[in-house]
Amino acid sequence: MKTFQKLKQNPELWQRYWVRERVIDAIREYFKGQGFHEAEVPLLLPAPSTEPFLEVFETELKDDQGNKWQGFLPSSPEFALKKLLSAGSGSVFTITKSFRNGEGRSSRHNPEFTILEWYRTPGDYMDVAEDFERLMRFILNRVHPAGPGPAGPNNIDLQGLALTYQGKQYDLNSPWEKISVAEAFAKYASVDIETMLNGSLLIAHGKRKGYQVTETTTWEEIWNQIMANEIEPKLGQNGPTILYDYPIAQAALARPAKDPRFAERFEIFMAGLELGNCFSELTDWKEQEARCKADLALRQAQGKLAFPMDNDFIDALKLGMPPTGGIAVGVDRLVALFADTPDIADTLFFPVGEMFA
Amino acid sequence: MRANQLKTGMFVLYKDQPCTVVKCEFYFPGKGSAFARTKMKNVKTGNVYEYTFKSADMVETVDIDTVELQYLYGDLPAGKAGGDTLYFMNPRTFDQFEVPVSIFEGKEKYLLAEMKMFFNFYEGIAIGVRFPLKVTVKVTEAQEASAGNTVNAPKKPVIIETGVEVLAPLFVKEGEMIIVDTETGEYVSRA
Repeated sequence: MKTFQKLKQNPELWQRYWVRERVIDAIREYFKGQGFHEAEVPLLLPAPSTEPFLEVFETELKDDQGNKWQGFLPSSPEFALKKLLSAGSGSVFTITKSFRNGEGRSSRHNPEFTILEWYRTPGDYMDVAEDFERLMRFILNRVHPAGPGPAGPNNIDLQGLALTYQGKQYDLNSPWEKISVAEAFAKYASVDIETMLNGSLLIAHGKRKGYQVTETTTWEEIWNQIMANEIEPKLGQNGPTILYDYPIAQAALARPAKDPRFAERFEIFMAGLELGNCFSELTDWKEQEARCKADLALRQAQGKLAFPMDNDFIDALKLGMPPTGGIAVGVDRLVALFADTPDIADTLFFPVGEMFA
Repeated sequence: MRANQLKTGMFVLYKDQPCTVVKCEFYFPGKGSAFARTKMKNVKTGNVYEYTFKSADMVETVDIDTVELQYLYGDLPAGKAGGDTLYFMNPRTFDQFEVPVSIFEGKEKYLLAEMKMFFNFYEGIAIGVRFPLKVTVKVTEAQEASAGNTVNAPKKPVIIETGVEVLAPLFVKEGEMIIVDTETGEYVSRA
């Protein structure tokens, strides 16, 4: 049965689906109250962001003279918003659609997804962490208004709030648990910082732990496998966890941290979900250009669909991007969280699995 | 086999234990290569493991026999003394098989005599079943719908021949045959 038929048959379901509307209203209200501008970004692009591992959707733009241009759907609104930041927009956010092709169907991904990105300027990643803490409580207050009075633009520091998800309570009060990647590897995987950052040492360590290692196994694979099997299950158990300062190789668009082996990036985990990915944004156009080119070379090496470099992005950075903290948040996962459902498809009127059966 | 070929429902060897893949999701962590996040259930002990494979990892598959069997009898609902085993027959060889009710994961409540379905056997033990997605059942109890309450596609509870309650539209009457989705327990249509 399709979702629209289920809704007709069981009208109580509407309540779960309308949570999306309330979450999105709350996000808008929060950022407008914080003095952010909301910007629309294009969904048809001549060059998408240079993600080395994501597959994109390709299309073609035609005019009435028979001219044709290669076109793509965006995998994120990041480059567009950074152009605006470089032009002087000030703090800005968008709630938009992004697309990823060639991925397995899962309860946490839809090939077309709703993404929230916000950029606070002047600011850095920890300013964004504060925004996230307040935003989550603001949404909770709007979606489940029981609790301490309604939040307003001047009353955003709500406390005493817990979110119930799948029968478990998550404390949303500040401060949220913060742990650095290096601390997490030491605490949960018994991997010290030197081993964690060294290719051959980490691969040897992984092999001793029983992970499969061949001649082609990379540092990145073992690093991510330890992360997925030993660290992520320990995060976000009683409330959100902010995992911060990633090895520089794991943060292509972030500014280096005080220890230059790490970059100012964090991810937020809760209830087994990765909720957001944040950087102190890289503003150095030369470094950015070099990383974009390296990403495109990596795409080519893997045989992914080739696309041109977005030179406008580099030109924009040359205008001088102010110090900015920025984050991408999967809105579908937020909605699933506040709607208390394990599968994001339960919150989409038209999930991909129903349309492309 | 490589981990990038894993699919839900496959049987694999994990830490030398035969397991069924209950869940398998591929993902690309932020800026990373592909991984398969899986949940596997030990078919002997029922223990559940969660493990993330690199897509290039080698995974050993387990040999499973698939046989179509026909339901004979059992003490349902489960939980009664002696009600943990159901009896099935191979309609070709007439061999009888004992099947633990637990592998039905609740769907035993839609079992009807002579129903046929495919079972997976590992070393002679039934470890999984492909239960029919839809069953056609008789409505044994249904209240007459009261007029007036017809807004928003209303439903009423009816009892089907296996003793289970199903929410059905008001027009469904006692003695009718209806189709029920065994995955969701929802009414699908009149048969």
